[in-house]
Parts: sequence; C-alpha cells; structure tokens
Amino acid sequence: MKISSFKWLFGRNSEFWPTNMKIGMWAWVGHRLTGLILVVYVFMHLSFLTQASLSHEDFNSLMEVTAQPLFVLMDFALVCAVIYHAMNGFRVVLFDMGIGIRKQKLVWWIMMTFAAALVVVGFWLLFDAGLFKGEWF
Amino acid sequence: MSEARIATSKVAGTWAWFFQRLSAVLLVVLLAIHIYVDHYWHVGEEITVDSVNERLREVTFIAIDYSMLGMVLFHGLNGTRTVLFDFDMFVKRKKMVDRGLWILGIATMIWGIVILWPFIQG
Repeated sequence: MKISSFKWLFGRNSEFWPTNMKIGMWAWVGHRLTGLILVVYVFMHLSFLTQASLSHEDFNSLMEVTAQPLFVLMDFALVCAVIYHAMNGFRVVLFDMGIGIRKQKLVWWIMMTFAAALVVVGFWLLFDAGLFKGEWF
Repeated sequence: MSEARIATSKVAGTWAWFFQRLSAVLLVVLLAIHIYVDHYWHVGEEITVDSVNERLREVTFIAIDYSMLGMVLFHGLNGTRTVLFDFDMFVKRKKMVDRGLWILGIATMIWGIVILWPFIQG
C-alpha cells in the first residue's frame, strides 16, 4: 500500500486536516477516538482484573499501585473520555429524535458546558481527598 | 474514498442502530453508578478484596456489574463495527466482521462472568 493512498485521511486537502475541520467534524472525530480508547480500556480492565483475581495479595498490591497519583490522573483522564463520549452521545441521540440538528454547533457547546462542569467537580473531589499528594513515580 | 461507497447506516442496519442507542442510555446510568460508587463514594479509602467482596454481597451490584459488562461489550463492539464499515474493505467482508465480533463479544462476556465469580463468592 502506498503512502499516497492515505491522502484522503492525512492530506492537506482532506476533510480531516485540522484547519479544514469545523465543530461538527471535531465532535465526530472526538467521539470516535474516545470510543475506540474506551473499547481498548475495557479489555485492559478485564485482563488486569484476571491477574488480580488470582490471589488476595495480588489484588491488594495492584490496588496499591493504582492509588499512586499518576494512576489516579490516568484514571481521571479515562473518566474525562467517558464524560465527553456520553455528552456528545446525548447530542447524537437528540439529533436522531429530530431535536436541535439545525443548531448542532450550539447543542455541542451546551453539552460541553455540562461536560466541563462534571470534569471540574470530578477533579476537585479527587484533589480534595488528597489523591494527588505523595510520590508520583 | 470512492464516490460509489454505500452509506455506513445502510450497511449497519436499523436494529444495530436501535440497540446502540438503547445501550447508550443504559450505560450512562450504569457507568454513573459504577464510577460514583466505586471511586467517589468512599473517595480516599483503599480498595481491597474485602471492600469489593462487601459491595458484591448485594445482588443489586452483581446485577449492575454483569449488565454493565453486557451493555459495554455490545456498545463497544457495535461501535467498532460502525467504524469498520466506514471502510470498503470491511463492508466487502460484512459476514466475517459480524461473526468475528459476535464471537469476540460472547467469549469476552464469559471471561468477565468467570473473573468476577471469586469476588462474589468472597
């Protein structure tokens, strides 16, 4: 396969070139990316649980590792992906019901406002509980 | 992309579309419960085998965990199917894609049921 056959995806004139993308396209690309990340995560989640379910010690030591700030931050990034996917997904469902499709950009901004509020509250609760204190590595 | 490509919605079918929406709505509720109860309710406290056992002593949480797994697998793999059908090479192999994803989904569901079992038994 030649590089040039991917011009529709990566080329300067492709609809996916960042300066060619408008809000609707960003929303769609973001939905796909977060969706694929979450699918990969589900399989990771199950494999870690499989290893951890072998013994109580294995499970508890894995939980100690995941309580480190770096892992809490990665977990929170995952929550952010879920929040974006859910909020944009809600927008998609509204369009399927014939609501708001002509105002799709405005609907996106409204949904992102809810998403941002959830992200801020979610982060604050973790920060306030001191989960980002201590050794990072 | 070629001009003659068929719309993904036509390839994927109406039932897939309908159940994708239904599972989406259920997942918003189930995931909200999952993330809140497992990570925010007792935020700051260590998660241990004992705390997980205690949660899974309630049938409600067993039901939530297993139905969440089923919904996630359907939604995630059906979403992957939609992405695949944006490419002609996978549209041409629709039967193979469908069979492959069903097998992967059912196998993963069994895998998930099995690994949660020791936690439920305590």
